[in-house]
Amino acid sequence: MSLIRGISEGDGLPMAGWQEAEPVYSDKQLVIRQTIPPDGLSCRGVIDVSNVDSVAATLASHLDGDSDVHIDLSQVEFCDVSGIRALVSISGHLTDGRRLVLHGLPPLLAKVMTLVGWGDLPTLQICDCREDS
Amino acid sequence: MSEPALQMDAAYRHDALLYQGLQDFVHRTVSFIRNGIDAGEPVLVATTAAHIAALHSELGPDAGEVRFADMAEVGSNPARIIPYWMDFIAQAGGRPVRGIGEPIWAGRSPAELVECQRHESLLNAAIEMSTSMWLLCPYDTSALPRDVIEEARRSHPFVTEGATRRESGAYRPGLEPTAAGVASLPQPPAQRREFAFGPADLGSVRGIAAAGAAEAGMTAARTHDLVLAAHEVATNSVRHGGGGGVLRVWREDGSLICEFRDGGRLDDPLADRRRPEASVAGRRGLWVANQLCDLVQIRSEPTGTAVRIHMRT
Repeated sequence: MSLIRGISEGDGLPMAGWQEAEPVYSDKQLVIRQTIPPDGLSCRGVIDVSNVDSVAATLASHLDGDSDVHIDLSQVEFCDVSGIRALVSISGHLTDGRRLVLHGLPPLLAKVMTLVGWGDLPTLQICDCREDS
Repeated sequence: MSEPALQMDAAYRHDALLYQGLQDFVHRTVSFIRNGIDAGEPVLVATTAAHIAALHSELGPDAGEVRFADMAEVGSNPARIIPYWMDFIAQAGGRPVRGIGEPIWAGRSPAELVECQRHESLLNAAIEMSTSMWLLCPYDTSALPRDVIEEARRSHPFVTEGATRRESGAYRPGLEPTAAGVASLPQPPAQRREFAFGPADLGSVRGIAAAGAAEAGMTAARTHDLVLAAHEVATNSVRHGGGGGVLRVWREDGSLICEFRDGGRLDDPLADRRRPEASVAGRRGLWVANQLCDLVQIRSEPTGTAVRIHMRT
């Protein structure tokens, strides 16, 4: 059951136009896949304090390149504040005008990012593309 | 302005104003507001909608010089009021400011009332004594029970009564209103859900909170708010409260309540009402719970901590 966006089981599609490759990380509650295009990663499942360190390490190892890094969160059922913190922290590693671009961010998480003081960061961009449903 | 008055205005004042009914409220607050306007001080009035309307008509065009806020909105959860004042102080950029803050009115639920009283006590510690702020907290003696007025005398260093402003003889500078330990929370009813959780059970905690919200007929958006807040408070228990705790869920007085008890201790009574800064470090769980939930009750003592989050249903 999704506790954050009201979709049914997490077997939906990635963001329109995104191609998912093989998983680069998986545990019992989360799968992270590389996406081409765009250059980035898609997350499916639950990000919380129990796996956030692994998520952060996985994201950190996929920051190479010279363009923005795109993250598809449209299939994330739940992400807690530690998960948001990890995304914020990762974005702080980007330099030379590169940004972490979050796609399909659940509305609650967008609200929480503002509530906790991370609403306006130069290296973190929230794409206003909506999920299709 | 005379020299002593200037000196007195250079420091934080937290006063209770005892009044009787609407007309007296207007009569007693208008001169305070006008004096602030005349001195060029930013003035913020956070009170009930009825009081705002009455002040508007009494002040006439001068009302445009005053910022008004409906306390039922900005202070519905009283833990949001201190950050609200802190923002106001910061926006003034060091200029002296005046505020009227009326968090307590006759319609507050018992749990809200207790949290408003904690808020009033915490205000003495939350704002630096060197801050040039004069904050007036009106209490309606014709509508509020006597014990509420007595607590106002304990939580405010000064009380204005009749025409006189004087030090409150009953002022108690401690942070907590009387008997604020874990045991001060009323007992939950026998009909409740109870679940002991550990580090691997956060998903179950979310599921139990969601199930309680569903049974109570809560909307999806409020369910999501509750579930995230519950998860964050449970995460605090896992990380800082001895690895886990006990969750109890019940319905009471039109609210769904989730209580988390653990063996940890929260030393900072203002921890849940300091606005987080952009730096990544620092705990944000209790702050988030306060922004998402209708009421959050935190009680901590050496033997443990209890956190109750309330959502109206």
